[in-house]
Amino acid sequence: MSQPAEIVVEQLTKAYGKFLAVDNISFAVPKGMVVGFLGPNGAGKTTTIRMLTCFMPPTSGTARVGGFDVFHDSLKVRKNLGYLPENAPLYLEMRVAEYLHFRGRLRGMDRGSIKKRIDEVTELCWLSDRKRWPISKLSKGYRQRLGIADALLHNPPVLVLDEPTVGLDPSQIRETRKLIANLAGLHTVLLSTHILSEVELVCRKVIIIGRGKILAQGSPEELKQQCAQRGSGARLVLELRGPADQIRTALAALPGIEQARIISDNAVCAVELSGKLDGAMREQIAAMVQQRGWALREMRSAGASLEEFFVQITDPGAAAAA
Amino acid sequence: MSTTLALARREITGLFYSPIGYIVLAIYLLFVGLLFSLLVLQPGAIADPGPMFQWNHLILIFVVPFMTMSLFSEEYRSGRIETLRTSPITDFQLLMGKFLGAMGFYCVVIASSLIFILILSLFGRPDYMTVLTSYLGLVLMGLLMVSIGLFFSACTQHQILAAMSSCVTLVALGILFQAISYFLGSALGVSWAWLRTLRHVLRYLAIEPHMVNFSRGILDSQNIVFFLTGAGLFLFLTYVVLESRKWR
Ligand SMILES: Nc1ncnc2c1ncn2[C@@H]1O[C@H](COP(=O)(O)OP(=O)(O)O)[C@@H](O)[C@H]1O
Ligand SMILES: [Mg+2]
Repeated sequence: MSQPAEIVVEQLTKAYGKFLAVDNISFAVPKGMVVGFLGPNGAGKTTTIRMLTCFMPPTSGTARVGGFDVFHDSLKVRKNLGYLPENAPLYLEMRVAEYLHFRGRLRGMDRGSIKKRIDEVTELCWLSDRKRWPISKLSKGYRQRLGIADALLHNPPVLVLDEPTVGLDPSQIRETRKLIANLAGLHTVLLSTHILSEVELVCRKVIIIGRGKILAQGSPEELKQQCAQRGSGARLVLELRGPADQIRTALAALPGIEQARIISDNAVCAVELSGKLDGAMREQIAAMVQQRGWALREMRSAGASLEEFFVQITDPGAAAAA
Repeated sequence: MSTTLALARREITGLFYSPIGYIVLAIYLLFVGLLFSLLVLQPGAIADPGPMFQWNHLILIFVVPFMTMSLFSEEYRSGRIETLRTSPITDFQLLMGKFLGAMGFYCVVIASSLIFILILSLFGRPDYMTVLTSYLGLVLMGLLMVSIGLFFSACTQHQILAAMSSCVTLVALGILFQAISYFLGSALGVSWAWLRTLRHVLRYLAIEPHMVNFSRGILDSQNIVFFLTGAGLFLFLTYVVLESRKWR
C-alpha cells in the first residue's frame, strides 16, 4: 500500500485487571480507505476503538491517528476524529439541529460554519426533514444517523464508527451502509462490526479480531485466497444419480481429493469434496463420472465464502485445536 | 472559553427541559415563601429580609443535590460521557462547563426569591445594600454547595446515590456541625482544650455562621474565603475523580 496510513496501531494492549481485552495488536488503516474491523461480540473491538479515540489510555503499546499519538497528543487526535460510539448515546431532550450546534461548539467551530455544516451533514445523512425534531421522538435508525452526522460535523479526516448498524431494520441497514460506502475517499473510516457481509459490502480492507488478537487482515479477496490455502474453504458439491457408496469411493480415490462426503442420498446423490479443486481437477471429475455412466446433475463450488473463514478463525474451539 | 460556555448552556437548558428543574424551583419558592411569611412579613415589624437569607441554606441543602445529581452521573449511565470525552475538550473545560451550568441554574433559583423582596418593598423600605450582600452570600454559598454536588455526581453513575451523598454532606455542614458545636459548648460544662478546639473547628466548618454576616449587610473576608476555598477543594477533588476514572 503506497498510501500513508492514517491510523497506526502498534502492539496495543488493554488489560481490565488481569483480563487482556486487547492483546498486543498491530494494524494500519490507509488514508481514504474504509476498513472493516470485524470480530464477534466480546472480541475487543470497542476496547480498541476506545483507545484510538482517547477515551481510555492503553495499558501498553501505542496508537497514532493522523500522525498524533493518542496518549501524548490526545487533543489533536480528538480534533481530527469523528467518532460514533456503540449505541450512539444522545441528549434526548434536545432537538436535532440544536444538538448538532452544541456539538459544533464543543469542537470550537464558529457559528457560521456550524450552520453551514449542519445543513450539509443533515442532507448527507437524510436528516433534513428532522432538523427540528426532539431527539426523543426519533426512531433508532434516525438516532444512528444523527450520531453519524455528528461524527461528520467538523469534517474530520478520520471517522471511527462502532457497530453503526446494530439495532436497525434491514432497509435502514442498507441505507447506512450506502452512506458509509460513500464516505470512502473523502474520509478514512474504521468501521467496527460483527457482521461479515457488512465488510464484504463496504470495505476494501478487513481486520479480523477475536479474543483480543488480530486473526487475519487483508482485502476480502486476499482473505478468500487465504482461506482457500488453508484448505478450509473451497469445496465442491456434486449432484448425480448412482450408487452412493460407489460414487464416494471412486471420488475419494482421485489423487488430490482429500475427502468425499455424502450429503444426501435419495434419488439423487449429493457429494461434497474437499482438497485440490482447480479447473483440471473438475474436468477430471466430470470425465470420470461420465465414464462410469452416472448422470451428472450439478457441479458447484461451495464454502469458499468469507463467512466460513470468519466463523472458523474466530471459533474458540478451532483455535484451541490449532 | 466558548466550549466551556457551550457546556454550561446545555446544562442549564437541560435542567429547564426536565421536570426536575421546575420541581426544584417550585419547592424552593414554597419554602422561601414560608420563611418570608413566618419570619419577615410581620405586621408592624421593620422591613428586614435578614431572616429569610440567614436560614436560606436550610432549604438549599435539600434542593441543590437535586440540581447537581445528574451532572456527571447521567452522562456515565447513558454513555454520553464517551461522546464528551472523545470531543476535543479538556477535562478542566468539562468540569468548568458543568460547574458553571449548575451555578447558572442555581442563580436562577435564588433569583426567584426576588419576588419576596418586591412584596416587601410594597410594605416598607428594605435596605437594598443588605439585600445585595445577602444575595452575594447566597451565590458564594452556592459555589460550595454546587461543587459538593458536582463531586458526588462525578463519583457514581447512580444519580440518586449522588443526590443522597451530597445531601448528607450538606446536612453535616449546614446543620449537624453547628448543632454538635452548640451541644459541646452549652450542655457539657467541661472546658478541655481539645474539646474547645473541636468546637471551634466544627463551628468554622458550619455554613450558618458564615451566612449571618452577609444577611446583616456585612462583608467579612473570612466568610468569603471559607466558601471560596471549600468550593476550590471540591472542584479539585472532582477533577481528580474525573482523571482517575480514565484509568479504570
Ligand atoms: N470496562 C470493562 N471492564 C472489564 N471488562 C470489560 C470492560 N469492557 C469490556 N470488557 C470485556 O472485554 C472484552 C472485550 O469487550 P469489547 O471491547 O466491548 O468487545 P466488542 O466490542 O468486540 O464486542 C469482553 O470480554 C468484555 O467483557
Ligand atoms: Mg463493541
